[in-house]
Amino acid sequence: MTPEQISLVQSSFARLGPQLPVMATRFYQELFRRDPALRALFTTDLAEQEVKFADKLAEIVRAIPRLDDLLTHTRALGAVHAGFGVRAADYETVGAALIAALAAVLGDSFDDPTRLAWALAYNLVAETMLEGAATARPVGS
Amino acid sequence: MLAVVAITLQRWPIVGRRSELEVFERALDSGELAGVVIHGRAGVGKTRLADECRQQAAAAGYPTERVAGSRTTALLPLGAVATLLAGGLGRPGPDGQVHTAALFEETRRALAERHGGRRLVTVADDAALLDAASLALLGYLAAQKTIFLIATVRTGEAAPDLLTDLWRDGRAERIDLHDLSRAHLDTLLHLTLGGPMEAGAGLQFWEVTRGNPLYVHELVLGAIESGALVERSGVWHLEDRLPATSRLLDLVGQRISGLSAEARSVVELLALCQPVELGYLEAAAPAGVLEALERTGLVTITVDDGEARLAHPLYGTVLRAAMPRLRARAILLGEADRLEAIKPAAGPAALRIAVWRLDAGGRPDPAVLVRGAHLARYAHDFRVVRRLIEAVPGEQLDAVGALLLGEALYELGVFDASERILAHGQQLPASEPVALRLAVIRAKNAHWGLCQPDAALAINAAAGPVISSPPLAEELVADEAAILMFSGHPDRALAVLERIGGSDQRTRVVRAIAGAPALAVTGRTAEAVKTAEAGFADHAALGDELAIAHPATHIINQVFALTEAGRLAEAEQLARAGAEIVAARRVPVAQIWFAANLGRVAILRGRLATARRYHAEAAGLAEANLFAGPRRLALSGLALAHAMLGDADAAAEALAERATVPEFGFLGPEQQLADAWTAVASKRPAEAADLFRAAAAQAAETGHRTAESWLWHDLMRTSGQDASARLSELAATCDSPLVSARARHAVAAQARDARELSAATNDFEALGAILLAAEAASDAAEAFTRAGDKRAATAALRRSGALAAASEGAATPGLVHAAAVVPLSGREREIAMLAAAGIASKDIAERLFLSVRTVNNHLQHVYTKFGVSNRAELAHALGSTS
Repeated sequence: MTPEQISLVQSSFARLGPQLPVMATRFYQELFRRDPALRALFTTDLAEQEVKFADKLAEIVRAIPRLDDLLTHTRALGAVHAGFGVRAADYETVGAALIAALAAVLGDSFDDPTRLAWALAYNLVAETMLEGAATARPVGS
Repeated sequence: MLAVVAITLQRWPIVGRRSELEVFERALDSGELAGVVIHGRAGVGKTRLADECRQQAAAAGYPTERVAGSRTTALLPLGAVATLLAGGLGRPGPDGQVHTAALFEETRRALAERHGGRRLVTVADDAALLDAASLALLGYLAAQKTIFLIATVRTGEAAPDLLTDLWRDGRAERIDLHDLSRAHLDTLLHLTLGGPMEAGAGLQFWEVTRGNPLYVHELVLGAIESGALVERSGVWHLEDRLPATSRLLDLVGQRISGLSAEARSVVELLALCQPVELGYLEAAAPAGVLEALERTGLVTITVDDGEARLAHPLYGTVLRAAMPRLRARAILLGEADRLEAIKPAAGPAALRIAVWRLDAGGRPDPAVLVRGAHLARYAHDFRVVRRLIEAVPGEQLDAVGALLLGEALYELGVFDASERILAHGQQLPASEPVALRLAVIRAKNAHWGLCQPDAALAINAAAGPVISSPPLAEELVADEAAILMFSGHPDRALAVLERIGGSDQRTRVVRAIAGAPALAVTGRTAEAVKTAEAGFADHAALGDELAIAHPATHIINQVFALTEAGRLAEAEQLARAGAEIVAARRVPVAQIWFAANLGRVAILRGRLATARRYHAEAAGLAEANLFAGPRRLALSGLALAHAMLGDADAAAEALAERATVPEFGFLGPEQQLADAWTAVASKRPAEAADLFRAAAAQAAETGHRTAESWLWHDLMRTSGQDASARLSELAATCDSPLVSARARHAVAAQARDARELSAATNDFEALGAILLAAEAASDAAEAFTRAGDKRAATAALRRSGALAAASEGAATPGLVHAAAVVPLSGREREIAMLAAAGIASKDIAERLFLSVRTVNNHLQHVYTKFGVSNRAELAHALGSTS
């Protein structure tokens, strides 16, 4: 990522403001529309899950400029998700749902450079979460 | 122990490969699969992914191992997998062979014991460069679930059969690696550099590398070293353009050329001899050199094994290419001496030492070379056998070595040299089994290689006094019979086989090799089929301990016997199945025989285009593999098919090619069908008839009864001449329904017996010989017409047409008169065909040894019968088949 792209991610996220819960709701709608089977992974109350998701996303966006901080968050998060049986292919679905939710809520201000910046940021997060997942759950375990 | 190097560059993160890792994980967890095969082009990250898989397995508690193919390790069979071998290369038994199966089994047991039954997760990097014996061992261990294989194969290199078989049979997962996407490249750079990069720099890296990870790796490290890529306030900037070279190898070369002299000697040693023990390298190189190499990503250190190796195979390629030969030689020999001083002549170390000495052009231990040659022979890698034995000094070469070399030279088509070394080998002291093999291979080389069957018989006879133990002596007798059979003397072969008295399993196998085809061609076809079937079953039960033949021989014999027995559909089916098996296993000699037999069957069935294709295939394979005898047979078959299709030029061309190949007696009379039919297609009927008669006489003299029947019948088919008497005699002495049907056809044609001709049609059709059935039906139509039964004639004619339509474009004289229901005498038909082909009466007269007036008289009768007045109209009336 470039420094400009990191700024774009952070500033567009800030623009969500009070709309963040709306975006979180929209994210899960987009996710289950893309892969209804994923619904089964969420056993807790979805409203509660949306709040957790929004909080975690905010933490991660804050950490993006400092790689070490980011890795601390994402590796741990990946390890947790490995326990739920989440696989590499699911991460792609999640990324697509996230971008779609952001685009829906942010409207015109979610322009192409912003979309690219989010795509790269998400890829960075997903790859390092997967790394954390692999360490947490070695093969054959 | 190395100091901890706290720089992120030393081990790059793995990005964009998680799905692939999951494939590996599932495959290993399944417990069912034998491995994964990673395909992809150079630098795409195969080695890295394979090592990551290995690491994950190690983290889960699996024992792991790593082997790698290279030009060097391929010098000696099993050289690449020395670390897996408990006790070196095994020892030859009394018959001069290393029992590879026992060696493999011993290795399996030792590994299972060492690892408490857990599967050893084994990376085989650059598997396409492994020697055949190493691949066979890995395949065996993987199939036995002793190891789980992670193999890498570079795009453009032929994947070894073992791997494609595993993958095709669903016993291994295939992973195709591609370059990184733009987003993954971005993530890789971000994680590697530890922070963001200015916009223009990321774009340049993308444009230059297009996501090839090794390329990215080299460029980034090169740019940091050169100061082109720098970090300021947490952001990476590209101060300079990236190097203009677009070749990965140049890039690696540039980085390596920037190394210090000490560092360079370390990587050069690794390039030739890796992996090398860490302790030794640390002692040999100044402090810090190894750390620096690891930091710059050139060298990988595995602390568990205490070994160091180059981080990528490409570095080795570049280093070796740039190294002066003398320097490489000095390093290799030095390293061999050093290792020998530490671990004198122990299994795996002895192998590595031998590989290095071979690579350096030095003199390795002859015992290791000979054992290596045995393994290469087991894997049918005769080039390696030859190279290894030729490295043994002449005065140290024993009978077993001479046997190995002689056989390899024969298989490689170097027949003169094979004869010399085998003759020499027979002068050396040898056990009886070795002496037998020497005699058998030398005779085989003389017979099949040099095409000198008499010399082969002399070699066989000379070995008699040396071989005294009964089972081996029987094998020698059976080999004599085989030489006789496959040089055109089935009667004599059968007589020789009478000398073999016993009736145990082994004896039956030995008798069957020459016995089955000899029985078949002499007309005892039911016995032949039974003998071949039993030979295969008995041979399979015996295992691979006979000197004189391969088990597939019996299947080929079975196909041949079924063909002679007139069981054409069964013969075809069996040959097709056999051809598939041997094609997959790459046994060229068996491939040739199956193709040639399929060609024979197709001719008899009247499927001529199919026959042409099979014979062309057999001829091509025989030429490529330097089998002169089979090539001669296949070219005969090819000419025959062309001629029966009416293509005289192509037939003549095939015969001209055949003339460049030495004479070969096997099925000699049958080979002459090609000459006779080519004469038929070239409108030289008198010559054709002479050729048929001469070949039939030769067949009678040597006991080729089925071939004799074929020849007489074809004489009748092409000239209308009577051969019924001899064909009837043959039918009485042969049990083949094909021979009987021919006799029935000939007798009926001679008698112009329409009912019997219809019966012959039925016989041929029931055998699947559609072209012969079409011709017999055409004869029947003519006979019905002559008898005034127009309705039956029309029906027979229609039947003939329908049958002929299935014969793929046959243009035989027997079909010609089917075009018009006009009864012609044999002579009239002959002259009509020549005239229709535009040949002047004078020339026809010359060819048929008749006067011009006689020719014109006949022709006039033909014109009258057809109601035509000139040659053009006659040609039209005869139809396009002429």
